Amino acid sequence: MTLKVLAVDDSKTIRKIVAKAFSTYDCIVKEAENGIEGLSMASSEKPDLIILDITMPVMNGSEMLAKLKGQPGLKDIPVIMLTAESGKENVMQIVKMGVKDYMVKPFKGEQLIERVMKIYSLAPKPSETKETSTSPYFSIKDNIQILTMPEKSDRATLMEIESNFHNVLKSMSDSGMNKFILDTRKLQEINMLVIKMLLSAVQACQKFKTHLRFVGSPGLGNELKGFQETSGFSINATVEDAMTTF
Amino acid sequence: MSDFNKIDLKGFALNSTIEVFNTMLSMKLDVLQADPIVKLTGNRLVGCVGLAGNVMGNICIHVSKEFARIMAAAMLGMEIDEIEEDEINDVIGEVCNMISGDLKSRLCDAGFSCVLSIPSVTSGSDFKIESKGWVRHERIAFENRNEKSIVEVFIKSVI
Repeated sequence: MTLKVLAVDDSKTIRKIVAKAFSTYDCIVKEAENGIEGLSMASSEKPDLIILDITMPVMNGSEMLAKLKGQPGLKDIPVIMLTAESGKENVMQIVKMGVKDYMVKPFKGEQLIERVMKIYSLAPKPSETKETSTSPYFSIKDNIQILTMPEKSDRATLMEIESNFHNVLKSMSDSGMNKFILDTRKLQEINMLVIKMLLSAVQACQKFKTHLRFVGSPGLGNELKGFQETSGFSINATVEDAMTTF
Repeated sequence: MSDFNKIDLKGFALNSTIEVFNTMLSMKLDVLQADPIVKLTGNRLVGCVGLAGNVMGNICIHVSKEFARIMAAAMLGMEIDEIEEDEINDVIGEVCNMISGDLKSRLCDAGFSCVLSIPSVTSGSDFKIESKGWVRHERIAFENRNEKSIVEVFIKSVI
């Protein structure tokens, strides 16, 4: 079943991040930019889930939630609140509002998906499943999954890899494989999109309890040292070197 | 309630900013020395959020137009040349909102209850942002790949 999600946030940026987080799953994301629009869309679209920001002009998230809970046809729709405030008082208030969960900004798309998966099981997009088996970047050697990054690191290529990544990890998990090598040697440049993808790969591997090793230049090691998620990783010069570290 | 003058305002602002850039933009920020004073000139953007309640004030982030575009691309996962003007403003506003939200939470937990305004963004090359009547002020300069950003916090307690 395709999950219908309504993202209500006055920031186009956050709505885009939410839509991108769901883009590899069998979901439709509708957007509204304040509480009034959100209520109207909730009535017309009957979403399965609402991702709701608190601080918005016109009608804020708390007001919208109160009105939502007052409407018999809408009150049972699960709501995940987004807030930039993590203070005790604010969190207590959110919990009292009767939301299913809440997410404190800053957040990563993967973290949002984890919260959603506590409520619904998300299926990958049907077309994505097909791509997984034909993706040129993934291969298996001695029961170890290898992702060889291409020379190009443009957004479209990285999105294609990232969308397959989760499906590959899921297939590995189903078949009992838990070793993954990410080979970056062909990459012409390590730009921010690449770093973002690598951080996302680390988190996905942690989620699927998969051991991850990086192959690349010493420069990659320096880049990765700057991030909490990757600071502990050492970089292997070749895939063969990486295979011996498992 | 904590002593207003002993609140680690600099630590709060510094950690919030580093966390937001790391999580949302996958950018590692380095903190620059306070002296000499880092200034931004030319085309730039300033995102501001107001605080009102037991603590009043402003939180601002200053970035060059060029860096703002890089930030927008990083946050939206797009190419730099795909970014449109409204997306740049929205990203700067949202980044300022997240930094302010974290700072506000820490102030509330310290006993200084307050609320945040919706972010505003000012852009241009010939303007200055002034905040008056503050008691505490912090100004922290950061750098990422030679691009500088400045976060400023001005607050006063009204209790």
